[in-house]
Amino acid sequence: MRYPLNVTVNGLRASADVEPHRSLLSVLREEIGLTGPKEGCDDSECGACMVLLDGEPVNACSYLALQTDGRAVTTVEGVAPADGLHPIQRELLAAGGVQCGFCTPGIVMSAKALLDRNPDCDEDDVRHALAGNLCRCTGYQKIIAAVLRAARQPEHGPADRP
Amino acid sequence: MTGTTSVLGQRFVRRDGPEKVTGEARYTADLAFTGLLHAKFVYAGRAHARIVAIDTTEAARMPGVHAVLTQADAPLVRYGMFVKDRTLFAHEVVRFEAEIVAAVAADTPERAAAAAAAVRVEYEDLPAVLDVDAALSPAAPVLHPDWLDYRTQDGVLRAPNDCGHMTSVKGDVDAGFAEAELQLTETYCSDMAHAVPIEPHAVVAQWQGEKVTIWTTSQVPFPARAGVAETLQIPQSNVRIVVPHLGGGFGGKCDFHFEAHVALLARATRRPVRLVFSRREEFLATDKVRHAARIELTTGVKRDGTITARRARLLLDSGAYCGDALFATEIGLMMVAGPYRVPNLYAEVHTVYTNRTPAGSVRAPGGPQTCWAVEQHTDELARLVGLDPLEFRRRNLVRAGDTGQTGQRFVSSSAQRCLDRAAELAGWPGTDLAEGEALGVAVGWWFSLSVPSGAYLKLNPDGTGTIITGAQENGSGSVMGLALLAAEELGMRPEAFSILYQDTDAGPFDIGSAGSQTTFNNGRAVMEAAREVREKLLALAAERLEIHQRDLELVDGSVRVKGAPTRSIPLAEIAAGAQLIGSGSGTPPPLPEHDLTGCGGRLGYSAFAAPSFFCHIARVRVDRETGVVSVPEVVAVHEFGRVLNPLGAQGQVEGGVIQSVGMALLEGSQYDGGHQLNPGLLGYKLVTAPDAPTVTVDFLDDAVDQGGPHGAKAVGEPPVVGTPAAIGNAIAAATGTRVRALPMNAERVWTALHRPSAGAVTAGGEA
Repeated sequence: MRYPLNVTVNGLRASADVEPHRSLLSVLREEIGLTGPKEGCDDSECGACMVLLDGEPVNACSYLALQTDGRAVTTVEGVAPADGLHPIQRELLAAGGVQCGFCTPGIVMSAKALLDRNPDCDEDDVRHALAGNLCRCTGYQKIIAAVLRAARQPEHGPADRP
Repeated sequence: MTGTTSVLGQRFVRRDGPEKVTGEARYTADLAFTGLLHAKFVYAGRAHARIVAIDTTEAARMPGVHAVLTQADAPLVRYGMFVKDRTLFAHEVVRFEAEIVAAVAADTPERAAAAAAAVRVEYEDLPAVLDVDAALSPAAPVLHPDWLDYRTQDGVLRAPNDCGHMTSVKGDVDAGFAEAELQLTETYCSDMAHAVPIEPHAVVAQWQGEKVTIWTTSQVPFPARAGVAETLQIPQSNVRIVVPHLGGGFGGKCDFHFEAHVALLARATRRPVRLVFSRREEFLATDKVRHAARIELTTGVKRDGTITARRARLLLDSGAYCGDALFATEIGLMMVAGPYRVPNLYAEVHTVYTNRTPAGSVRAPGGPQTCWAVEQHTDELARLVGLDPLEFRRRNLVRAGDTGQTGQRFVSSSAQRCLDRAAELAGWPGTDLAEGEALGVAVGWWFSLSVPSGAYLKLNPDGTGTIITGAQENGSGSVMGLALLAAEELGMRPEAFSILYQDTDAGPFDIGSAGSQTTFNNGRAVMEAAREVREKLLALAAERLEIHQRDLELVDGSVRVKGAPTRSIPLAEIAAGAQLIGSGSGTPPPLPEHDLTGCGGRLGYSAFAAPSFFCHIARVRVDRETGVVSVPEVVAVHEFGRVLNPLGAQGQVEGGVIQSVGMALLEGSQYDGGHQLNPGLLGYKLVTAPDAPTVTVDFLDDAVDQGGPHGAKAVGEPPVVGTPAAIGNAIAAATGTRVRALPMNAERVWTALHRPSAGAVTAGGEA
């Protein structure tokens, strides 16, 4: 049995008929065609599937797709402005915070959720905001530095928030 | 250097970064195919058993199921890098819990899983062998009764349940112990650990005619191609391996894995078929774990701290099959003397079959466990003679002119310099330590793998360049960094190069992202290809400018007359009218001269080419009540010859250190019988951002060129080797108690503190 799902994804209306057991992640990847969110564990442990649901970070692998009906989802594909990169993305690149890149979409979303809420964050805030995102390549040092630098950039102002 | 400014050693942003931060980068599981089917494996679910019967009829009849295959549907070919001891699917016997018995292809993942569950297999259980000591007992069941019939690489020495043993012999070990005034015997044991790339394994295979294209999460596309060809008995030229973006590997995606199973399903169904591993499968079935090890060390010393002799015995748990384990075997053997003067040595290592998940070359195979044991043993020796750990090391570390355990002569004193620099950065012996805190030190060495490699390079009409290489990116950035080497030769910006890789039909052979070898070997190939293009460029420009080639230079994307910068031609102008193509391979630097008299079973790592050295110092805080250890800081000083890409090298060291903090304190598989108890990221914990220590990194140069590009040495693996040992020594310094099991988790630290008699295996005193 499938049920209709209507959800706003990255500012665009999307609809699909989905079975009740389907995760938000599988619907984003397979029905809506957004493969930025990754499946690393399917168990809310690695954070590679992190998206924002009405501005709050959630593990899309463990969120039922139908629970998002009528709500707004932001994935990593919806973060950059049309003319460039979001400060978090830019600083991750400049700092060397990207290696294999598989965890990066989730890191970007957790960091964005933090900066949207608390642009005056300190290192401790950043570390805790990223506690649910496993990275096996970088050792986190350059990611943490990048998020702190992004937080200090003027363009990360209220206009950038949902 | 060609231009006025070298690009080497400058800050460099990798070219594949933008698509990764925006989510546009496509990994294997992200690819879409028309008519795609989904694969699911049927696993044994038991440690050791004879297969009585397999019944696939019910599964094959289920809706949406296109194929159910077993070994009966595949050529009966035994394969394996060193010992040809396994088949694609279980043949008559299963030897570990995630042995693949059958494979299903169906139109949805759910239907594939349902059909896999409907395959009926009747087993007759056999006694399981679950630890290395038991496996080597003469009474142990033999896991591979036909082991004598298996084909092997030349030189592999074997025995029942031992798929490769080796010895390292130097001097006269009995005389060395006779000379000793004190001696110490200790045993250290490490658990199985996992590579845990965040991207699970994924494979897609699609046939067109006789040719199969396989998109796969492989670190080693060319060995994967060879494996498919060997096991399916088809020509290598009919197999094309493509690696989309690769989400980490750390050795777990080395060797040939599941490409052939998926190719068989795709051939049987004439449809594209995709396999994507769950995290649970990633733990149980990737058959590529870091060896559990038992390490026995006896060392003789004089009262002034001089080491006179060492005996060592390493038992590595290879699991059910040999795989590429013998890399770990020989490297582990090369680590037992550490970078120390050990004039008299007898060391042996055994690679032992058990009914557990097969082990292989996880990042720095054989390194961290052995270094962890040897460096804790070193601290105990220092304590035995009453010396500070740093001073004991200074008296024994190798310097230029010394010889290593196989007689290799060292050309630098980097081990000593790394120690001094790390001590300075860490403030040894620790001036601002809080209650329960202490510092611990570890030193070590590693090698640069010297193997053939190849690359093409061409200049495009717009003045950009393209590097076409068989080298594989695992995420570390080493392939991206090849642009630096090409740019340096051609006076261009690294950003002006695109890199075509990931495709065995395009690039020349390369062993892949393994052994930290990309820069060392493919870098040499890229430089040679660039030099060929450079010669062509200069010849053409000399003609146009009517001047001798030696008066020209390549600077800022143009050819210009030395001393007359206005007389120049942009590269784009020359490239638009000419074929500027180069190819390169270069000659791999030879292994240093060495002497294997008395040694047995050696397979090629008997000396370390372009060895690098390091010193790590960890600050730990131990909660005596709970046994919980936290690590606020690690200082990591490495000598990598010359660092070409500092941002990339720092990333390797920081990431490696944090990975090995996990190995030190958290990461280990627990077993109950033949079953992993913690095959998931809740039970098998990695270090997270809040727990990650601050890592202070420093690089020392080595002025002696030992064959790498611009003097560079291997970077990827050494950073994981030293940290567990440094943490172990810091725990002992903080508590006065040594933990001889890895990981040194809270339970073990607490037990060592509160039940010191449990688990201690040590004997020290008068010789």
